[in-house]
Amino acid sequence: MSKDSFDLYDREKALISEGSILLESQDLKTIKLFAQRLFEGFVSLFNENQNLLRHSDRQEQRLVKLNQNLKAQTQELELKRQTQELLSQQLAKYLPPQILAALLSGTYQSKVATQRKKLTVFFSDIRDFTATSDLLQPEALTEYLNEYFSEMTEIAMAHGATIDKYIGDAMMVFFGDPESKGHQGDAQACVLMAMAMQARMKDLAASWKNKGFENPFVIRIGINTGYCNVGNFGSDQRLSYTIIGGEVNLTQRLESHSDPGGILMSYETYCYVQDLVEVEERQPVKMKGIARDVKTFAVLGLKQPTPHKTVALNHQAGVSIDLDVTTLTPSERQQLAEQLRAVANQIS
Amino acid sequence: MLLNIAATERTPEIILSSQPAKLSIKGESYPEDVSAFYGQVIQAVNTLVETPEGPLDVDIQLIYINSSSIKAIFRIFEGFDEYRKKGQNVSIQWLADEDDDIMQELGEDFIDRFPNLSINTLST
Repeated sequence: MSKDSFDLYDREKALISEGSILLESQDLKTIKLFAQRLFEGFVSLFNENQNLLRHSDRQEQRLVKLNQNLKAQTQELELKRQTQELLSQQLAKYLPPQILAALLSGTYQSKVATQRKKLTVFFSDIRDFTATSDLLQPEALTEYLNEYFSEMTEIAMAHGATIDKYIGDAMMVFFGDPESKGHQGDAQACVLMAMAMQARMKDLAASWKNKGFENPFVIRIGINTGYCNVGNFGSDQRLSYTIIGGEVNLTQRLESHSDPGGILMSYETYCYVQDLVEVEERQPVKMKGIARDVKTFAVLGLKQPTPHKTVALNHQAGVSIDLDVTTLTPSERQQLAEQLRAVANQIS
Repeated sequence: MLLNIAATERTPEIILSSQPAKLSIKGESYPEDVSAFYGQVIQAVNTLVETPEGPLDVDIQLIYINSSSIKAIFRIFEGFDEYRKKGQNVSIQWLADEDDDIMQELGEDFIDRFPNLSINTLST
């Protein structure tokens, strides 16, 4: 009996095979002997069958129980997941989305730790808020203020800003932590966000006027780029993710010097966005703790792309000219024109 | 050593020696081909039965066993019964986890099926 040829049902198969021949026999003694063996085999199989069915039933019972447990656990997990999702939605209203995402994924270290980083800081405030709010019913004030903050927050999040805090009617936002597009990318995103906010404020003002809000909110915006301390401030019991430093104070100062409905930025921010926006230089701002005057620039709008004046020539003799004349100074253009005329004279 | 088969994810460890006569089966048992896997064991036990070498000590500790494997173990127990019939002492320890009522009850089934063999069911 080799390993490969062994058959667990060899005895049963042998009986079946033997029986088909023996049952044809006329010899009663032979048939009786076979019947005896057949009976013994049947008893053995019957007992075996009973044992196997019992075992199989027990296994099925265990499977049913396991399945029920699994269903109960799945329901419990789903309930926990829904609770966590609800909690996460609630927390999202109190925490910057990038911090919340890092906290939920377990990659965020919630301990007192700060670092110095170059950030672009944004500060906005409603002009004459106290006077304006005195003219409104508290319910109307709440409605307009909520609408204002909702719209501004949506724009800020769409531009990848980290919303630091709301201070009364003011908003403090920054770019560059925990995610950064690089110093220039952060500054440009901030200025584009500020422009989108002022544009949206114009739409909101029109809508509010229609609702009877006679002197709708107008905001001032200040933007500055510089090194700040960013991270978790506070104690092990209570932390606040925020930024502090002279550059933050300067941003607030810029905001107070901005035109109502305008955006005023520092020279540092201007350097990063000069290719993006048209600006007008304004009076420098003096700041306590900063020896030099801070140069300021008001944003006028997006820079329009300069139209390119191109000259093209393709001749079968192998002469090809493809030139953007706007890249040349007037004297360079004059010099080139003279040289080309000289060449033309030689050809003719 | 007549047999020394290492355990796999689907098959148990099986060790069979003749002097002293001892068989141990431990682990999971749901081989893809039960006849191929247990054929060698049934053959080796039958060889031992042909030339008994004194008392036979058996330890069986299975975690999960499918129906086809049970049929094969029945055949092995038939071999133990033959060994006993030759006047040799056969002592079988059927070990099952204390929480595993299925394996404990299967041990009881073997006691009912082979009333002349000495089978002790033990909880681990």
